[in-house]
Amino acid sequence: MDAFQGLLTGFQVALSLEGIMFVLIGVIVGTLIGMMPGLGPISAIAIMIPITYGMDPAPALVMMAGVYYGAVFGGSTSSILLNAPGISGTVATAFDGYPMAQQGKAGKALAIAAISSFIGGTVSVVLLMLLAPALSSVAISFGPPAYFALMFMGLTAISSLSEGSTIKAMIAAVAGFMVVTIGIDPQTGTQRFTFGNVNLFDGFDFLIIALGLFAVAEVCMLILNRKNRSLSDDQKLGSLKLSKADLKEMSGPVSRQSFVGFLLGVLPGAGATIASFISYIFEKRIAKNPEEFGKGSIKGLAAPESSNNAATSGAFVPLLSLGIPGSGTTAVMLGAFLVLGVQPGPLLMTDRPEIFWGIIASMYLGNVFLLILNLPLIPYLAKILSIPRPLLISLVIMFSLIGVYSISFNVFDLYMLLVFGALGFAMRIFSFPAPPFILAFILGGMMEQAFRQSMTISNGSLSIFVDSPLPLSLLLVALVSLLVPAFLKWRSNRLAYKQG
Amino acid sequence: MLASINRKLGLLIFIVAAIYLYLSFQLPNYQYAPIDADVIPKGLGILLLVLSVFLFFSRAVETDAEKAKRDIPKKELGVIAAVFAMIFVYILLFETIGFIITTSLFIFLCSWFLGYRAWKANILVSLLFPIVMYAIFVFALGIVLPRGILPF
Repeated sequence: MDAFQGLLTGFQVALSLEGIMFVLIGVIVGTLIGMMPGLGPISAIAIMIPITYGMDPAPALVMMAGVYYGAVFGGSTSSILLNAPGISGTVATAFDGYPMAQQGKAGKALAIAAISSFIGGTVSVVLLMLLAPALSSVAISFGPPAYFALMFMGLTAISSLSEGSTIKAMIAAVAGFMVVTIGIDPQTGTQRFTFGNVNLFDGFDFLIIALGLFAVAEVCMLILNRKNRSLSDDQKLGSLKLSKADLKEMSGPVSRQSFVGFLLGVLPGAGATIASFISYIFEKRIAKNPEEFGKGSIKGLAAPESSNNAATSGAFVPLLSLGIPGSGTTAVMLGAFLVLGVQPGPLLMTDRPEIFWGIIASMYLGNVFLLILNLPLIPYLAKILSIPRPLLISLVIMFSLIGVYSISFNVFDLYMLLVFGALGFAMRIFSFPAPPFILAFILGGMMEQAFRQSMTISNGSLSIFVDSPLPLSLLLVALVSLLVPAFLKWRSNRLAYKQG
Repeated sequence: MLASINRKLGLLIFIVAAIYLYLSFQLPNYQYAPIDADVIPKGLGILLLVLSVFLFFSRAVETDAEKAKRDIPKKELGVIAAVFAMIFVYILLFETIGFIITTSLFIFLCSWFLGYRAWKANILVSLLFPIVMYAIFVFALGIVLPRGILPF
């Protein structure tokens, strides 16, 4: 099936009544959850997963994808209005968006964000459509050693690109991998670390980890910040209209950063947050008047907004075509696929074209919906920001508990949710990044399997990972991605240390 | 003093890694697998052990932002502990008393405890939310939530 035919199949899914409805539900829910300060796309996806039980996989995944890019879209609203980013991918949005809002031009800032997001999202869906099938057809010949090396590279990349200490990020990744070893080993039937507890035989469901480490931990942070401002009723948004000069000023950054964002989204470990920062810095470097950045510059707002949305679709490239998520958020997306019995990977395009192409086609539609929703409806949607924090906290706790209970009907899992919530909170306090943990948890089982398959092929010799060029080069990239930033940090620390 | 928090964390993680590694060595053998179930856990245990030593001796200076994150008033920690305790009690009673009643009580009390004083709105939300969720899950999605002492 060629790409054009595939896309037609995809649009049949996306433009069916069911498809349109679920895209719409997905993007609205995503926008609303993304807006809430502190609640990110991972929580948004994890909270929505129970809703998909018993649904057809195609519309369900179209909806989940909508939740994801909707959350990135919605996150900008609270960045601009409250200077409290809804998600980490929109932190850079606040740099110029919030000053603009303070100057009484909130409406204009929201419109710029919406249009930049729309263009970034749409450009990168086109690129996704071109790149994902190509990568799928290459990846179909990958053996277990290449897969192991790819996943290993994904983990080292996310660790070295995480904010703060690389050592702490690696510890988080190893810990996530350790948690997945709990349970009965699928290959030998050995019980590992279960202490004979029946509840642990199947290991932890990923939803417990995702909701605990993100939703419950984010609730703890909300409790700490519960007295922070929420939106007051008298805040004026101002006109949403953009002049021709505004549009012209946006056009440069948006067209450049849509590509930059997409590329960074495709690479493992990067994702929306890093893409938005890099794009912001990129535009500031090449701007004629960089001193305007941070004071309400249109360019400074358009750059991160086009980039973070482009990165979101870019992140679907490795997920759909390799079956390997490159970020914490796409790791949870992979979980959503698996819950529905769909294994993404090189075979997805040929085996389940309606899902592969349905998701891609639905993204065109979703981006249009988001633009339509956001431009005229933003003043009304933004009302959700005035929900009192205490009430929001109680409701998110409830959503998490119901979500976990509805997968297992087991109270033991609810206690575990509490345990992982406490762990996630402790990780936040002591600056251990949570995304490497969830990515390692999702990849861990697959990595162990790929490792053991490789070793079975090679009769127990590790040389299988260095004998052929692909795994070897991937492992080398992994090594470099780990050593270079570690070395740079070590050197700058040493300098700082010497200077006292 | 600067490195002391990393030292404490490094030590704690070292202990966790050591316990995990000890348990990995207790795993039974399975004759027919070329790579047995204990290989990956042993590797992970050793890796964590090494990383914890790195963390212990790391010279990384804690940034102000990191320090600010750690600096939480005791009272606030108490609030979080109290919310966790409420969740614990909720889980304890959830299956016997039933979803709707426990959820209503939880939302009302937890929101009140965190400082939400608009009690009329609070009552409204804490009654409507569980009923709507119950209806969606049980009737629309076919996921059974515990009925408890209520007849429906």
